[in-house]
Amino acid sequence: MISVGKSVNSQQSIVNIKKYFPLLPVYGIYLLLFLIGIIYPEMWSVVTLLAFYCALGQAFNIFLGMTGYVDFGYVAFLGLGAYGMALGIDVSHQTGLNIGIIFIGIILGLLMATLLSLVVGAVALRLRGAYFAIATIGVNEGFRYLIEGAKLWGGSEGLIYFRQLNEAMGREKTNVIVTFWADVFVLVIAAISAFITLYYMRSKIGYALTALREDEDAAKVMGINVTKYKILAFITSASMAGMLGATSWGLKYTHVFPADVFEIHYTVEGIVIILLGGAGTLLGPAAGGLLYGLSKYWLGAMFPGIQLLIFAPIILIIIVAFPEGIVGTMKKKIKGTVLERYIA
Amino acid sequence: MALLKLENVTKRFGGLVAVDKMSLEIKEGEFIGIVGPNGSGKTTLYNVISGVYFPENGSIIFEGSDITKLPPYRRAHLGIGRTFQIPRPFSSATVRENVAVGAMFGRLSVNVEESLETADYYIGLVGLKAHRDKISGALTPTEKKLIEIARALAMKPKLLLLDEVMAGMHPESIEKMIRLLKEVSEEEKIAIVSMVEHIMRAVIGFAKRVIVMYRGAKLVDAPAQEALNDPRVIEVYLGKGIRDA
Repeated sequence: MISVGKSVNSQQSIVNIKKYFPLLPVYGIYLLLFLIGIIYPEMWSVVTLLAFYCALGQAFNIFLGMTGYVDFGYVAFLGLGAYGMALGIDVSHQTGLNIGIIFIGIILGLLMATLLSLVVGAVALRLRGAYFAIATIGVNEGFRYLIEGAKLWGGSEGLIYFRQLNEAMGREKTNVIVTFWADVFVLVIAAISAFITLYYMRSKIGYALTALREDEDAAKVMGINVTKYKILAFITSASMAGMLGATSWGLKYTHVFPADVFEIHYTVEGIVIILLGGAGTLLGPAAGGLLYGLSKYWLGAMFPGIQLLIFAPIILIIIVAFPEGIVGTMKKKIKGTVLERYIA
Repeated sequence: MALLKLENVTKRFGGLVAVDKMSLEIKEGEFIGIVGPNGSGKTTLYNVISGVYFPENGSIIFEGSDITKLPPYRRAHLGIGRTFQIPRPFSSATVRENVAVGAMFGRLSVNVEESLETADYYIGLVGLKAHRDKISGALTPTEKKLIEIARALAMKPKLLLLDEVMAGMHPESIEKMIRLLKEVSEEEKIAIVSMVEHIMRAVIGFAKRVIVMYRGAKLVDAPAQEALNDPRVIEVYLGKGIRDA
């Protein structure tokens, strides 16, 4: 056993690298988005829109795609993330931490979203399928009315902290961070979410999640602690959403209003992105995010006012043509070819 | 010491008593057939043993420890494996992934690489080698049953509960399946309980001991030939003869 150890080890590390090949197309898309934004500054706003949708899909997919559970309250995690950034900046802007306050904001956003996911998960994940979906609808609206009604964190007037950012970092640095780095962070969060997705897929966690998505009772009898894995996916997905809310909303807009961030249509957009791209796949959310973002942007420019009327049938057609999403269907087509190694 | 011991186990659904004060002992490596007409409580008994349902009364002892209140996944870790009457493979996953799940989360809970190796072994054993990388949802019902058997064996159980695995199979396949199960059981010391509704031939070929269930209770518990020739058993299946009526 010991004598063959070395060659086995080097072989194994090659196998391990190969396991992560499917990240290449995903990271390729994100890099391309970034480069387009850098080279054509007038495209930056489109790039940020697409980056947000990709990141939303990629983060949401860890829960929705991998477990098959639909969380209608998902946007609450982004909303709390945005509040985390707001509170983080508010509390720490006079500490002389300079740029450091942004990371305090991101970490606070992550923690608040994670905490909420623990509470929601412990209660709602005992329910199955449609019952879970119904139970989670209330979370988002509940938070909005709690903040507005209890006048928590500025109540319905929200929090505005552009001045605090300027005080801490100076006007110029604030501008660069708010208009450029906030969006780069979004791409980074999408990339981290993609990595976690693949890591889960390739480990026991992914097998457990596939099993419970397909048949929860059979999974239990096979020895899978389904509650543990569901909660793990839920928390992971929520913490990514917390960071996303902190950067793409909290940091970018330098204000948070409850009516803006606890808005259910972001959850619905996330679901559409994942279904278009392919639920539970790695590349799906990126593909879905691009497709959804581009269509929305382009149709909005071409047919202002009636874009949704045109968009809805397009989504319908895509779902009918690709019932498992674009990437889900593609994965079946390329089974047994070299491409299989790069698409997951 | 008995591998599994049921003491006065009762499971009710509302007013219906599905399993009625059932007591039962299964020894290590034993081969048992469970027969009984529709609705006699066989599947409920399986569900109570594997932890899908908790009984209202009585206790379940596995290897000397009380598992009555243990969730199904913990029982799987202890070594209770089962299949379902209507096969339930994880249909979007490949055959290999399905069987690997058994090894990954079963009694030994090995890592992904080892699980895939274990999966390959059992896939070969049940004769699904050619279908290894296919999506399991696309296979025939009989092949799905074989996936379930391979997946359950990959869990390395000490007690394996088979639910109607031989129903709908070709007689030749039944012979092969019985031989295979006997070999695996002997090699790995697995006690196998097989539930059969109709194919009595399979029971006789398979089990040394037969338990006949009727209305949630144990009607007969005896060596195979004796049990199946018991007049009470014939009556349960066919009704009273014309002469007696």
